[in-house]
Amino acid sequence: MKSERLRSARRSGGSPGRRLGQFLLSREGLLLIFLLLLGAAIDIASSGSLLRFANLNNLFVNVAVVAVASIGMTLVILTAGIDVSIGGIVGLSSAIAGQLLTNGTNVLLSLGVFLAVGLALGLVNGILVSYVRIPAIITTLATKSIFRMLVFLTLGGVWISSIPFRLTNFFVLTRIWILPVSLVLTLALLIAASVLMTHTRTGRWFYAVGDNEEAARLSGINVRLVKTSGYALLGLLTAVAAIFSLAESPLVQNNTGSGFELTVIAAVILGGTELSGGRGTVLGSLIGAVIVALVQDGVILLHIQPFWNGVLLGAVILASVASSGLRLLRQRGAR
Amino acid sequence: MSRLLSSRNALLVLISAVIWIAFAAVQPSILSATSLRSMVVLAVEVGVIALGQTFVIISGGGGIDLSVGSIFALSSVTAGLLMTHGVAWPLAALTALLAGLGMGALNGVVIVALRIPPLMTTLATLFGYSGVALILSGGVDISGFPKGFFAIGQSRLLEIPVQFLLIYLPILLILLFVERASYFGRALYLSGTNETAARLSGIEVGKIRFLVYALSGLLSGVAGIVNASRLTVARPDAGGSANLVSITIAVLGGANIFGGEGSVVGTALASLAIGSVTYGLSYVNANPVFEGGIVGGILIFSVLAQGLLGRLQRARA
Repeated sequence: MKSERLRSARRSGGSPGRRLGQFLLSREGLLLIFLLLLGAAIDIASSGSLLRFANLNNLFVNVAVVAVASIGMTLVILTAGIDVSIGGIVGLSSAIAGQLLTNGTNVLLSLGVFLAVGLALGLVNGILVSYVRIPAIITTLATKSIFRMLVFLTLGGVWISSIPFRLTNFFVLTRIWILPVSLVLTLALLIAASVLMTHTRTGRWFYAVGDNEEAARLSGINVRLVKTSGYALLGLLTAVAAIFSLAESPLVQNNTGSGFELTVIAAVILGGTELSGGRGTVLGSLIGAVIVALVQDGVILLHIQPFWNGVLLGAVILASVASSGLRLLRQRGAR
Repeated sequence: MSRLLSSRNALLVLISAVIWIAFAAVQPSILSATSLRSMVVLAVEVGVIALGQTFVIISGGGGIDLSVGSIFALSSVTAGLLMTHGVAWPLAALTALLAGLGMGALNGVVIVALRIPPLMTTLATLFGYSGVALILSGGVDISGFPKGFFAIGQSRLLEIPVQFLLIYLPILLILLFVERASYFGRALYLSGTNETAARLSGIEVGKIRFLVYALSGLLSGVAGIVNASRLTVARPDAGGSANLVSITIAVLGGANIFGGEGSVVGTALASLAIGSVTYGLSYVNANPVFEGGIVGGILIFSVLAQGLLGRLQRARA
């Protein structure tokens, strides 16, 4: 009820000042305020290291890595699914394409292989979840370990470290205004995805499937196809994240990408997407991704023990689940 | 139905035997009483967690417990910290058990009373409990326990590891009784098969589900204590793959991921099979990633086989 009133108030407009006030009180607004405070706190505590240029560029690339994958994760979680295997997708796509890159294969061709591997792995998850109907958490828990084993088999225990510098040069060091190419590409993808989700019929399908799968099926939506394409896109975008990440730190080893799922899931649900499906926005996930990247940066800048990284991200997930649980309770109480 | 179940159990024993023969082909020295004992010691810990996971999955309603590994870690850290602060080991172990029970009960309360789906709840507490374990321990392993504590995970009775004879077997027998001969057992299966029918026939489905999550927490705590005693160290980051492995064992043992089917005997025999794979791989010095990958493959394969079997049965009926 309350959100309905807010929405109608927003539609009716009001003075620019009032509209700003309303935005600041929305979830995105509150997150943005929190983000600025967090940034200021980290900057002060690290005596100005946050805003130093080298760190800022690093932070931007990290935001790109998390945000680009969180677009895909948003689609999957919107359909009431989940994917905990994306760390394995980062590892396996990096291992396979990384080997091509080191033995002198054309860079564009190698990047194509990168994307193809990501897409294929996402497709495997999607088919197992939607067509074979194995619950998403069981499918991806299993494929996570399988992908990790394949990383080991691909690498044969040898690290890949001779990645061509061109990759770093282009995605990390080339800037448009002050933003590295990786972040610019991510923002472009985000805007495209956001328009797709809010202004096209295809976008509404994802919300419909997550909100009520049976109703979506009855209204003629190809539910299996929608779900499968979510996982496939997530795989593809995870490969993009893996490319950015490889450009930033040109090294592939057995544990490359492990734990990435926690980072991305935390970003997405911090951005307001609910694990029960049907609710959330791609832009919210961007703000979530910035906060998560900032937390990771802060842990490094402030020389806090690295395990706090996981603890903080876990706390974010815990708090988001608790708040959506409380909202559900209140709704039931109101009924 | 019971013919099908017992044939599955026979198949699991056969698979275990084949696994041993396969590893013996690579490394003949694996066939020894010492190996069998070491395998049992390994299988007991994840096997006891799998028993709890089985009941959780049978209870239906999307029943799954992803937090078992974190409860395992936090329980062993609890016991470890208490012992290094001078608490007598039996009291420390008991407190850790209660901690496991409490964590499972908290999962149960959130799932039943707040009606947050088990997947979301236990995914959140997976990170929550392991975060607490990391904070309490400062992220480092805890060691320096009294000698008496090591009896739990390192001693033998009649040449049999004590954690199998005095911990795993009694728990298995109690749960077997609960499953086959108690009101709780019948109510558990009905809750998983048809929630509405269960409610209409007066079963308190919420209470049943609360109890299975509490049990799962308690059993994860048991495993955590046995592990700390066996390795003489409590690791805050342990148990990372416990959810994958315990779910795989339960499903391989016949638990239906959509609820209503499964048995502790099937789970026990599946623990034997998975334990044999794990032990064999470590015996031939394979990298630990193979264990995860193979277990993951077995999980997908057994869910697939289950779906196919179900379809066959329905076609015949």
